[in-house]
Amino acid sequence: MTKLHILHLYPNEMNTYGDRGNLLTLQKRAQWHGLEPVIHYYHLGDALPKQVDIVLGGGGQDSAQADIQADILRIGDELHQLVDAGVPMLMVCGTYQLFGNRFVTHDGQEIKGIGIFDVETIGGSKRLIGNAAVETEDFGTLYGFENHSGRTMPAKGQKRLGTVTRGNGNNGEDKTEGARTNNAIGTYLHGPLLPNNPKLADSLLILALRYRKTGVELALIDDSLADQTRQGAYTRKY
Amino acid sequence: MAKAVKLRGKSSGQSMPGLVVETLVPGYLGVMLRKLPEGVVIVTGTNGKTTTTKMVVEVLRANGKRVLTNSTGSNLTRGIISTVSQQATKTGRLPFDIAVFELDEAYAYQFTNVLKPRYVLALNASRDQLDRFGEVDTVAKLISNTMLTATKGIIVNADDKRLAKAAKAATVPVLYFGVAPKLLQFFPRDDEIVSVGGPEATLQAADIPLAVELLAFDGETAMYRMDEQKLLATLKVTGQHNFQNAAGALALMQALLPDVSADRLVDQIAEVKPAFGRGQAFTLKNSSNLQLNLVKNPASFRQGLASYVQPDTTVMIAINDNLADSRDMSWLWDIDFTSLQKISVALTTGTRAADMALRLSYDDLKAQSIEPDIEKALTAFCSLPGDKVVFASYTAMLRLHSLLTKGAGKTL
Repeated sequence: MTKLHILHLYPNEMNTYGDRGNLLTLQKRAQWHGLEPVIHYYHLGDALPKQVDIVLGGGGQDSAQADIQADILRIGDELHQLVDAGVPMLMVCGTYQLFGNRFVTHDGQEIKGIGIFDVETIGGSKRLIGNAAVETEDFGTLYGFENHSGRTMPAKGQKRLGTVTRGNGNNGEDKTEGARTNNAIGTYLHGPLLPNNPKLADSLLILALRYRKTGVELALIDDSLADQTRQGAYTRKY
Repeated sequence: MAKAVKLRGKSSGQSMPGLVVETLVPGYLGVMLRKLPEGVVIVTGTNGKTTTTKMVVEVLRANGKRVLTNSTGSNLTRGIISTVSQQATKTGRLPFDIAVFELDEAYAYQFTNVLKPRYVLALNASRDQLDRFGEVDTVAKLISNTMLTATKGIIVNADDKRLAKAAKAATVPVLYFGVAPKLLQFFPRDDEIVSVGGPEATLQAADIPLAVELLAFDGETAMYRMDEQKLLATLKVTGQHNFQNAAGALALMQALLPDVSADRLVDQIAEVKPAFGRGQAFTLKNSSNLQLNLVKNPASFRQGLASYVQPDTTVMIAINDNLADSRDMSWLWDIDFTSLQKISVALTTGTRAADMALRLSYDDLKAQSIEPDIEKALTAFCSLPGDKVVFASYTAMLRLHSLLTKGAGKTL
């Protein structure tokens, strides 16, 4: 059975918004597709595992973000190499911000990021909270929930994940949401994102297999429950 | 002044009279409450407020105290103003010795601007509805700020590291309650609920002398250490989390009722029955039992699963996404449902019935039926044989409680 190595960054610090759900979704779907998922938890001070096929990162509290900042800078070069090699990644909220160039907090403190996404984030006073929908070229409509005070501005050449059709997205102003560099995705959408967007989850698995230069015929999974939650998200008035 | 705002009404929606009074007489609440000879006690924290407040109030009453409380569950200012204005005599007096208020973490600190409480009982700080209350550090800060306004004493959970740390800044006496080290695994703190190994995950007993310690529990019986004595209590309230809450209530009782012996306090607390929708039991027409449990956040859902699920129970889960429930469903993914694999989840219901079923599917569980309409779901559920447990988010619980008391079942 093809092993698939999933790396979850800072699970004890960056886990605020049900981020465990993204990992569980990849793990289960990998099994359902006949793959053998191997989960690696990356904690502060660890070395990255030898084989990494997918990387996940979640949202965190301000205090947690400060705690991991020095550590993420330490492994920044290795993460860059993985992105360049085509490893798919999903970075949500706080980790998305740290994958950008920098984060300037509401009180003016500057937190340097690792610059995988050419974006920068400024702390806002009002949190942007609510159900959100995003149209993407590669993964169809994404439904999620956003809850962030940071306003993220993508630089001119930076590819976006998609366009907001409901909610605020990156900054509440330019209708952009998230960022994509090679196969690394940054986004504010949680909920968590993957269970309600199985197409995105399977795309990450397919990209991981492509990176591994191996093919597996994906199984047909019954996603009727996700169809129902997506229908609910589509018709929800709030 | 108080005469002018004396309002009467049988309405259970408590907020309207409060709004009227607030507009007519600013400062009314502080003036009235300052007349109470034994002042105000606040019970706050993420989980356990309602049941713990009920324990405190009933034990105080059993010892002859006249207690004012916000027992309708209306824990906003206006609700409290309504309570006060409805209870005041025609001459504007409050015929009570003491007030015990349950206040949520967001509101409690605001309330302390009206009046400084004599005592604050701080139960726990856990990740709650993030879209309403913010991150757990924010919640802990709010609770800590409230705690530090107490003028006579603080009662705090020694096993909640954020709150216990904040209590060190207190200038008034602090009484700690906690659980024995070997029991910590049953009362996980916020960080342990989601942690997956690594240095932060190790369970560590608080190195603090405890006024009340939960030493052991088995079934409904708990053993406490108080005043160097070991005391047994068989509680009428259910759920293992309430053994911990009762320890907090007992520590507060020691401060408020210094002349009452520890064994008497334990006997009295054992008699307190479950609060509205918090492990409340109903007998259904087919003479099976149904237990209704509020679940609000990962910690309370996890405690509910650990306390109420037996090998032969049938389960229904009711999840709404009104503002009072949380719009965001992320919290469902911080709960491990694998313990339900041994039994059957008959139904999911509520506005987020499908989301709940989807969540279960990723723990290899199949909801037998998805019925968003709560009334239809309850009818179908009640017709099933055997003992039943319902886990319900806040507004779903209110709806189910109303249906159950109206006729679907009768209260035990």
